[in-house]
Amino acid sequence: MSVVRVLRRLGVEVVYPRGQTCCGQPAFNSGFFDEARGVARHFMDVFEGGNYDHIVSPSGSCTTMVSHYYPFIFDENPDGRARSEDLAPRVREFSDFVVNVLGVNDLGARLGGKAVFHTGCHQRRELGVLEEPRELLRNVEGLDLLDWRNEELCCGFGGTFSVKMPDVSVAMADEKIKALDESGADTLVSCDSSCLMHLKGRLDRTGHQTRVLHLAQVLDGNGG
Amino acid sequence: METEKPARRRDTDDRRREGIASPVEGFNARAKNAVADAQLHDSIELFTNKSVAGRNAVLNALPEAPELRELAYHIKQETMANLDRYLGQMADAVEARGGNVFFAEDGEDVVRYIGDLARRRGAKVLAKSKSMATEEIELNRRLEEDYADLDLEIVETDLGEWIAQLAGDTPSHIVGPILHMNRRRITEVLSETAGEKLPPDVEALGSFARERLREKFLAADIGITGANFGVAETGTIATVTNEGNGRLVTSVPPVHVVVMGIEKLVPRFADLSVFVRLLARSGTGQKLTVYTNFVTGPRGPGEIDGAEEFHLILMDNGRSELLGTEFEEALYCIRCGACLNVCPVYRQTGGHAYGSTYSGPIGAVITPLLKGGKEAKDLPHPSSLCGACWEACPVGIPLHDLLLKLRNRQVDEGLAGKAQEIAFKGFEKGMSSPTLYNIGSKAARLAQKPAQKDGSIRPMPGPLGAWTNTRDLPPLAPKSFRELWKEGI
Amino acid sequence: MADRAEFLQKVRHRTQRGRYKPTHAPDVAWTPKDEPQYSPSVEDPPARFIEELEALGGHGVRVGNLEEARDHIVSLVRERDAKLLLRWDVEELEELGVDGPLEEAHVEVAVWRGLEDFREVAGRADIGLSTAAWAIAETGTLVLEGGPGMGRSVTLLPPTYVAVVLVEKILRTVPEAIEKYAQGGADGLPANVCFHTGPSRSGDIEMSLFVGMHGPGDVHVILVG
Repeated sequence: MSVVRVLRRLGVEVVYPRGQTCCGQPAFNSGFFDEARGVARHFMDVFEGGNYDHIVSPSGSCTTMVSHYYPFIFDENPDGRARSEDLAPRVREFSDFVVNVLGVNDLGARLGGKAVFHTGCHQRRELGVLEEPRELLRNVEGLDLLDWRNEELCCGFGGTFSVKMPDVSVAMADEKIKALDESGADTLVSCDSSCLMHLKGRLDRTGHQTRVLHLAQVLDGNGG
Repeated sequence: METEKPARRRDTDDRRREGIASPVEGFNARAKNAVADAQLHDSIELFTNKSVAGRNAVLNALPEAPELRELAYHIKQETMANLDRYLGQMADAVEARGGNVFFAEDGEDVVRYIGDLARRRGAKVLAKSKSMATEEIELNRRLEEDYADLDLEIVETDLGEWIAQLAGDTPSHIVGPILHMNRRRITEVLSETAGEKLPPDVEALGSFARERLREKFLAADIGITGANFGVAETGTIATVTNEGNGRLVTSVPPVHVVVMGIEKLVPRFADLSVFVRLLARSGTGQKLTVYTNFVTGPRGPGEIDGAEEFHLILMDNGRSELLGTEFEEALYCIRCGACLNVCPVYRQTGGHAYGSTYSGPIGAVITPLLKGGKEAKDLPHPSSLCGACWEACPVGIPLHDLLLKLRNRQVDEGLAGKAQEIAFKGFEKGMSSPTLYNIGSKAARLAQKPAQKDGSIRPMPGPLGAWTNTRDLPPLAPKSFRELWKEGI
Repeated sequence: MADRAEFLQKVRHRTQRGRYKPTHAPDVAWTPKDEPQYSPSVEDPPARFIEELEALGGHGVRVGNLEEARDHIVSLVRERDAKLLLRWDVEELEELGVDGPLEEAHVEVAVWRGLEDFREVAGRADIGLSTAAWAIAETGTLVLEGGPGMGRSVTLLPPTYVAVVLVEKILRTVPEAIEKYAQGGADGLPANVCFHTGPSRSGDIEMSLFVGMHGPGDVHVILVG
């Protein structure tokens, strides 16, 4: 919801196509390419329709799924391939959209505290959207953006990985939390809700009081 | 005393075995132990942090690194596309130098060739330089078993590999084979070999090793190496070591045998310029490995040392199967180990959890492809697909994508397990229909009510238990986004 | 058991299976992302060579002529309390003239020529002495060729190793050195070429550095000219 509010504040007309469900990544990551293709076709049906200028996603991994991996799974399928290649450049991750398409990096948001930013793996490696969220956070009044060790390490979510390999998944989360503790931050921000859910789940279980927020929530001034 | 599990519990176990938990049982069990081992974790952290820092620093200092990476990829691609021609060229070049060439289909062929050679030469001591290819085919064990009458002494000369050999252990990292062993254990192992109690300091341990292994270098009848690269144009074998054992083993014994995977070829000597620069920087954070050694055939005219007899074994062992397929890129690997160092999973579990010669991201990809087998079924799964391996690979192999393709192959072969198949078919149906999605979402909200406590979902049985055992789970919001949108946000 | 023709035929068949078009050429995400510190172009090759060698724990020195080099070696032998020095049988080392002074100091000098049991001599030697075909400034590397009179073991077995290198043999970069051999093709290539960079080492014991693992740990390079 913060995403919608922020975009509207920036003068964007936001439409939420009701037929949408999911990008299909869970099936894809488990190797179920046929099933992923089924879901992808539905996604493309929904989003090709309305003649939208841009499609914004509040998730780095979903954006990557559509913009990078749809052409991948439709590689042998000329019709799907063409549609996916057409759609791919129109899908943008939220912070990328705000900074690079709307050209805005200061929303006059306000939030006190010390934060570290976690870049989701897809956002880092496939999308290469690294600086944009930091730019936006640096302009948040009252917020101190800190560096933290092992910044580039995966949080351990990885979709079904988190339940298929729970011991390793949790160990990976603990590694990030160790770095968070060392940095002295009281707030964790990311553009990927799945990473946030995973880390928050572990932070809460280990008795941390860390505030865990999506970038949009921070920019919405909705610190809580 | 027999403990009978109550029927209800057994059902749950079986269901779990069939469901999302499979087919990674083997890895999971080993990983669980590894993750709980604080000392192992410290060792891995020390090694990988140092390796990554070294690698980053030394690559930063090489402005042409990105271009080299692209070049490396394309050279390997060209090589694989014409592998038969390059192999032929290599064989001709080696024979022109008076060397011998043998084409081995698999490990069995290699063992046979070397064993027969040892018999012919009356060899007693075989000195080996580090070679993952020989580990892959378990050369040492098979020679000892199949040629027991020769009473061969096969000695690993790389310090880490030797210590592992003495301890009856296996390497856990391509570059740092005994990173999992601590000083105390190493001292134990070497003291036993020495027949006296050695002090636990690096100087004493290293000096003992140097002295003892020297005897072997000087006594060796046959030197066995792998090859980091083979050059088709000239018949040259390149090996790199920091210790010097690679060069020793190819200079002192009268016979030199190379076991080289066919994918290690590059077309021209000039291509080495690209690879030699990438390998050391990527693998050990050095500009060049101390002994970067190029051997072309047996000793030249007028040479007193160097091998009299040179044997090049070109080994397939499943590699040619990958040519021209979507997995071909796995053959471009130069075995630098960088992917292991950056892999967040490897960093938590170490190499032994993978249960195979090759571990880490590259191991997870090539073991199922080259070896297959029960263990290998696990391997495409311990990965969150973060892509750090691809990012670190000096040749640019998209390991994370190859893992995905392996998972897909398992699904196509019906190996994913009934529960998953059903779950994802359901997923597809649910996600392709907004109506079903809405119903599902409402149902989930209802279902979670009993599990909620203090605003969070507490430990639950079943597959979700894998999450809730160690992590809190936020409940779904009372109203879905869709519902709120309908109401007008 | 594979026959060459069969083996190659199988490989050829598989390469023609269908060229797989890879999804990602390495175009994105190459760490490190930090501002690259461009390695300074090699301006003063002899100085840079010594810098690199010393950073690795080797010892480098530049002298004006062969006499000075000889004196340097003689005092090193004395410092190391060496009993046996084994050297290459090459013209430059004849000219160097260490044999005389060393014999006077009751140090045995063995030359790599006509050795019945090279293992015995090389295994016993305290110091190995050679020249080098080339040197590489950017990495502190010696390029050593095997050949008549140029024993590989001389540079490998003794715990102390000294190389005497003429300054005009110093190349700037690794690619330049590779090029020297690439241009000669298959025929021009010696049976052994080694890029030798600094003292032998191992980090296998808890990542602690041990110098002089199998090769010499005490490495000296004397640049002449």
